[in-house]
Amino acid sequence: MKFKKSFKHAANMVLHAKLRSWLTILGIVIGVAAVIAIVSLGDSLQADINSQLGNLGGDLLTLSAGRSRAFGFGPGREDLGGGASATEDEIVIDKTDVQVLKGLSDVKLLDTQIRGSADIYYVAEKGTVTVSGVDPATWAQITTSEIGDGRMLGPADSNVIVVGGRIADGFFDKQLGVNQLVTIEERLFRIVGILDDSSSTVYMPINIAYEVLDDKEKGVYDSVVIKVKDEDELDQAIENIENKLSLKRHVTQATRDFSISSNKQSNEARAEMMSSMTTFLTAIAAVALLVGAVGIANTMFTSVLEKTKEIGIMKAIGARNNDILTIFLLNAALIGFIGGLLGIVFGILLSAFMPVLMGSTGGIMARMGSGSGIIRLSTAFMALGISVLIGVISGVIPAYQASRLRPVDALRYE
Amino acid sequence: MDKPILKLHDVWKIYKMGEVDVPALKGVSVEIEQGDFVVIIGASGSGKSTMMNLIGCLDLPSKGTIHLKGQDITHLSESDLATLRGETIGFIFQQYNLIPSITAFDNIMLPLEFLEMSEHKAKERVKKILEIVGLSDKSHHLPTQLSGGQQQRVSIARSLAADPEIILADEPTGALDSVTGRQILDMLQKLWKEEGKTIIMVTHDLNLAKYACTRIELKDGQIIRHSRCKK
Repeated sequence: MKFKKSFKHAANMVLHAKLRSWLTILGIVIGVAAVIAIVSLGDSLQADINSQLGNLGGDLLTLSAGRSRAFGFGPGREDLGGGASATEDEIVIDKTDVQVLKGLSDVKLLDTQIRGSADIYYVAEKGTVTVSGVDPATWAQITTSEIGDGRMLGPADSNVIVVGGRIADGFFDKQLGVNQLVTIEERLFRIVGILDDSSSTVYMPINIAYEVLDDKEKGVYDSVVIKVKDEDELDQAIENIENKLSLKRHVTQATRDFSISSNKQSNEARAEMMSSMTTFLTAIAAVALLVGAVGIANTMFTSVLEKTKEIGIMKAIGARNNDILTIFLLNAALIGFIGGLLGIVFGILLSAFMPVLMGSTGGIMARMGSGSGIIRLSTAFMALGISVLIGVISGVIPAYQASRLRPVDALRYE
Repeated sequence: MDKPILKLHDVWKIYKMGEVDVPALKGVSVEIEQGDFVVIIGASGSGKSTMMNLIGCLDLPSKGTIHLKGQDITHLSESDLATLRGETIGFIFQQYNLIPSITAFDNIMLPLEFLEMSEHKAKERVKKILEIVGLSDKSHHLPTQLSGGQQQRVSIARSLAADPEIILADEPTGALDSVTGRQILDMLQKLWKEEGKTIIMVTHDLNLAKYACTRIELKDGQIIRHSRCKK
């Protein structure tokens, strides 16, 4: 029998077992849709992280006091009493450390920062914001934030601030604009710039911040953001900085009382975590697909039983084993194909709605959804190919069984 | 009516029922001439169904040889056998055995599809046969939309599609009323007389024997009477 004819009979079989066919197809649809949605989520997540890596200071390091959490789950600062620099003083990063950093050839720029929360007043409203004191001379060149309106802080600024996008829009009843005045801890500040983001942080020159955040000691920094000269030599730079600072602070690897984190490393760590999570979810979706495959096999077996007499008739009027095999295999492949096609459609819909569904859970999940659900064409074709393949594989045994039926037995079957 | 188109030589068919061997045919030898109208008569359990399956190449004998058009079918591969069956034998069953999900037209076309005849030629052929059996106006009906007699005519049409030499009819009137049954038998006679087909009809009904020329009577797996056609 010609292929075209076999296909016609296979399609006819799908059409004439409507409910059973559709239920089987549904099994594949669910599996494929789950895989598509998860893979596309992973893709958009990857794209999201990549874009952050691209413009979000891969060349930036953050130095802060205290042992890095990455070293283990043990307590941080508390157990450092016995270290080489054992003093009664709190462990801090101060001017002397900055001097050391300035002497390093790997370092291009430094931005000393302090952070704290402060009350902000505008007209008759009050709120609490995060105040970030930054080095006005270098901040504009180091920060990854982008200015939406106005300008960044400059070296000569004193009583001016740059505010995050949320403070300007939504924090107070009235919208804030450039050149408006707000009061922070009884000092009057003029807004010179509004960032193009959704943070509620106020950036001000560090000297002023020491006065606003009165629990901060002058000359002591919460963190130092370091821009390295060569991003490609980031690891080398980290090592140099760690060695120099360890010497200066009289600590060893084991008693180190500061930590350096890199944007790149943390982004990469996040990317890795995301990808393993995506892999895990894909595995779960694959199980759904497997269940769908079993469903096809089951339907095919039922179909062979149900069609035993017809198989006998066809054989009596000249069908060869291969003709029967082809018809049943095509039937299974067709179920896989339709299931795959619908699965892709539902998968696209699902991944489009995923951001909405996950938006409220916040954190990483919200981030996952922030990229729009883009399905790569290759993913779609692969899904289609796989579902057809699943159909064929699940159909092989039943189809073979059907083709091997003896015409005399098949004809007698009622 | 000269050379045998079908030759059974010392054919045995033994079914295994657990430990016991049950012979259905015990050394049957018979020759069927081309262009004959043969009726095989026997009560149930006489082995006539087994014989029909063997003649129709649906089953192979336990012992003995069957020659169809000079070819020993016991040595043919499955696919060769299927093709030989498709080309040489047209089946008419008691229960019509049409495929319920496709139209009368497509049912008749099915044997031609298995023989990979070109679409155009096959369609022409089906139209012609539909005229012969007088069902041109029902061609796009499903089997369930046809009466028993009409279904049997579709079945006859299907058996004629590939223009086989032999028409094998298994109780062709068994499910029909006597008037419709007559029409079907008339049609078979017409095919025999006008088209020169070899007709082999299997039945338990002695009344149908008069339509045939050669009579073979089976009992307990053996031929007890064989009256040859004298034309």
